[in-house]
Amino acid sequence: MKKIIQYCYLVTLLYCLLISSFVMAQTPSTTASSSPTVAVDKDIQLLKDKVANKVLEIRKQNNKAISGFVLNIDGNTMKLNNSGDGEVNQVKFDDTLTKVFRILRTTKKEIKTGDIKKNDYVIISGVVADNVITANVVLIDENFLVDSGKITEINKETFNIKVLTSDKNTYSLDIETSTKQYLVNIKTLLEETIGFSKLKEGDTVHFVVKKTSSEKNNDYSAVKILIIPQEYFIK
Amino acid sequence: MKKETIIAIFLGLLFGGIVAIFISFKSKDIELSKNKVIAPPKKNVLSPNVTETEIQSLELSKPANNAIFDKNTTHFIGTAAKDSLIIIQSPIKDLTFKNTQGKFDLEFPLALGENSIKIVVYPKEKQFRPQEKFIKVYFIDSEL
Repeated sequence: MKKIIQYCYLVTLLYCLLISSFVMAQTPSTTASSSPTVAVDKDIQLLKDKVANKVLEIRKQNNKAISGFVLNIDGNTMKLNNSGDGEVNQVKFDDTLTKVFRILRTTKKEIKTGDIKKNDYVIISGVVADNVITANVVLIDENFLVDSGKITEINKETFNIKVLTSDKNTYSLDIETSTKQYLVNIKTLLEETIGFSKLKEGDTVHFVVKKTSSEKNNDYSAVKILIIPQEYFIK
Repeated sequence: MKKETIIAIFLGLLFGGIVAIFISFKSKDIELSKNKVIAPPKKNVLSPNVTETEIQSLELSKPANNAIFDKNTTHFIGTAAKDSLIIIQSPIKDLTFKNTQGKFDLEFPLALGENSIKIVVYPKEKQFRPQEKFIKVYFIDSEL
């Protein structure tokens, strides 16, 4: 009986040893197989991020913006009248990529490429290749002209002023009731709201006007004027 | 008339001529040295500072012309003549300030789409002509 107990003890011991060695052998193999997978995953993610950043960077570099009045639009292409702004005036639409918006003051409304009309003022953002811009975004907006010069003539009956700019252009500006009129206070340099009667020949004027493709003789309706009185330059 | 008399008269005339020419040249020099220099009075002469102002032109380091932004603000960074009046005008904002430091860095709002902006510098010394720069920058919302 004693021998049987001894045999049983030995068999149990051997069995335990065998099991423990199996478990011990398994544990390292588990860690050995899982850690490289995590490392590889991290490397892949890093590479993915790098590629994404590079693509974004290249896209930003190649991304350009142009603007102009629509000369003609034909299916997926459009030609702009943007002479002086650069050579690129051909626009290509991408059915899946191009988004078109109409800007209404501070808001925007998505429309379709088919809604773009001749003489619309458009701003195109996209990638330029071979003098053709593939539009990512098309914005239909108003075209503003910002300039400055000296008031040479004031017509108090028609509420019109003539302005001579430094590049010798003469503008005829109608001052409407909607025109925002400001004057620089020569002491504080703060802007003050004024009326038409405060304008004087010889004053310097900074102005903003809306441009359309149909104006002639530089006649505009002023959106905003900012006057620097001639007294500022005399003091 | 004796030969000696003729020679004496001739020598006298020759000497007199030489003396006359000498006196005339000398009197010119004296007259030039006595003349007043026609030049602006000292108080009107430009000081070195003013000359520096004349050299200091409007330099706009940011934003670049035709730059695209995905935020509705940008910074105008540059240099211009000290104490000059600077006006930055766009359809949505007018900025008027005195450039006391010589350098400027100012936040400026942008409208969605195209922004036509004119910068004019009126130097403190009124005899100098204003300096102008015109740029177009674009605010294209990244969500578009």
